Amino acid sequence: MGSHARVAALLAGVLGSGLLFASTWPLDALVPRGRLGPGFWPRLVLIGLALACLLRLREERRVRSGDAASAGVLPPVSGSRLALGLACILAYVIAAPQVGFALATAAFVAAFMVVAGARRVPGIAATALLGTVILLYTFIKLVYLPFPKGAGPFERVTLALYRALGIF
Amino acid sequence: MIESVLGLGVGFQHALQPLHLGMIALGLVIGILAGALPGITMLNSIVLVLPFTYLMGIVPALLLMIGVYCGGVFGGSITGILFNIPGDPMNVPTTWEGYQLSRQGRTQYALGLAIMSSAVGGLVSALFLAFFAPPFARFALTLSSVEFFSVVVFGLAGVSVLNQSSLPAALISLFAGMFLGTIGTEAQYGVERFVFGVPFLTTGVDFVTVLIGLFAIGEVLEQIVTTPPGLTAPRGQERTVPQLPLRDLWPLRWPLARGTLVGIAVGGLAGAGATVSSFVSYGLEKQFSKTPELFGRGHAGALVASESSVNGSTGGAMIHLLTLGIPGSAATAVMMGAFLIHGIQPGPLLFTKQPEQVYTLFAGMILANVLMVAFGFLAAMCFATLMRVPAPILNTLIVVFCFIGAFALRNDMADVWLTMLFGVIGFFMRRYDLPIPPLVMGVILGPMAEQYFLTSMVAHGNDLTVFVTRPVSAVILGLAVLLVLAPSLRRLRRGAA
Repeated sequence: MGSHARVAALLAGVLGSGLLFASTWPLDALVPRGRLGPGFWPRLVLIGLALACLLRLREERRVRSGDAASAGVLPPVSGSRLALGLACILAYVIAAPQVGFALATAAFVAAFMVVAGARRVPGIAATALLGTVILLYTFIKLVYLPFPKGAGPFERVTLALYRALGIF
Repeated sequence: MIESVLGLGVGFQHALQPLHLGMIALGLVIGILAGALPGITMLNSIVLVLPFTYLMGIVPALLLMIGVYCGGVFGGSITGILFNIPGDPMNVPTTWEGYQLSRQGRTQYALGLAIMSSAVGGLVSALFLAFFAPPFARFALTLSSVEFFSVVVFGLAGVSVLNQSSLPAALISLFAGMFLGTIGTEAQYGVERFVFGVPFLTTGVDFVTVLIGLFAIGEVLEQIVTTPPGLTAPRGQERTVPQLPLRDLWPLRWPLARGTLVGIAVGGLAGAGATVSSFVSYGLEKQFSKTPELFGRGHAGALVASESSVNGSTGGAMIHLLTLGIPGSAATAVMMGAFLIHGIQPGPLLFTKQPEQVYTLFAGMILANVLMVAFGFLAAMCFATLMRVPAPILNTLIVVFCFIGAFALRNDMADVWLTMLFGVIGFFMRRYDLPIPPLVMGVILGPMAEQYFLTSMVAHGNDLTVFVTRPVSAVILGLAVLLVLAPSLRRLRRGAA
């Protein structure tokens, strides 16, 4: 991450702390005089957060002005894989209530395995299908977790799947 | 003492039942395997078994988690010694020395030393917990919210030793975590804070969503964006049968004793835990060693010291959880969640209200560390095969298990959203050089600090001096100040010299 972006993020931290600090004053409106209200502790924490950001800014300036090398070298990131990975996770969380946990999980496992580097189609398909069935048995039949069944026609598909697998 | 022996007797009666013994063994297997697989930390494995415990009775559930905890802190050493891949940050010092021994053709010796020193450290630590936790609990009953606040502050001060590379970065993480802990309905006045009209936030941010997201999802994202496509998990070299180095261990008794003591002491500090204790122990051993120049080149004493301190910290970390209801580490924080799910409130009253369950837990820890010798040897032998689990499958299933774990908290998709959000935050924190452990400690300890602080203020008429006029509180706060100032004082001394 670039040094300018780092500084911008730290300044945003200071600004954000300030805005949140300002929003704490109405919290103490109903508190009797002489008592510490519900806004006291968050104010203390936000002051600490702002000061820590300022300290980090000073540290950042020292590193930039000095010849000290930046700490910790992380391996380079594949931007496309990050975007695809995040898209898969986002789609999974959005889709689960709409299409049901079973279908969403099978689709997610297949898609994420590809993003994570898997290339053998039979292996991907077997993991997605068998993995989902094992998860359904374990967490619905044994642990009784009420996973989302989906909306409209997807709910009927999920219920039919549960009946076919002997879960319901 | 007699009370502890009798209690342990009852505890062993429960823990030795086939089902309970099976749970410890299962936990050890899961813990060792998960700890050894890079990307799945001991903490991840505890989080991942949490949903499986919902339908169990409290005793099997806790024994399963104890097994995972004891096995998990050791597991990462196997891959560290064999492949130079520590399973957990706490196994890094072991890896430094163990892998060098392995390169010298002494793999069996290194594995044997790691297994035995882990078992000894864990066993001594569990015995310490069994015999000294009750007096500590009785002592804890004499303390008030003033002292509890000081203990929590000491835990928060422990952040200063978590990340020596940048204290401001650690403080940003810590205060961000503490801020997250203030979101939701405030306990004393029932006022909503930082909810911004989002109904879900009125109940606050569950720290388990933060833990799962930051550690597991963040790590998966890190792995998929840095691993070239088509690359699977590292493969083992050959099946390796470790030695049982009882004779080799005797000359290393002092590093073993020092490592174990450091583990118990540092593990007992809320906020420190196994990772800190392993590094502290490694550093301390270098001070004591007659051959410090051999450190980093396969020093058996350093390996024994760091490895025994890792497992030695387990008992220490449990003391805080069981006697004060304050988790001493992120792992014990998840275990605290398991206690609460099963209707048990850890704290001083636990020993008087549910002594049988407490002593069963102690007996379980002792048994787990004894059984770990056998399971450690088996795992070390089999691990070459298990290391062949392809990374894409592993990473994908971790995300699915995180989904399930988060959903199971309250059967609410909002928790899943939060978990995934914290996963993304965790990924960027790694990239921004912001340490994750202080944030986790902030989320967990922040609300406790607020509660104890405000209760103390109400009880003592807003008199802040109460924190320094009560002797125990003053001593703990003094130690916290020393902990924070120690690095600066050392730098000053070096500068003066």
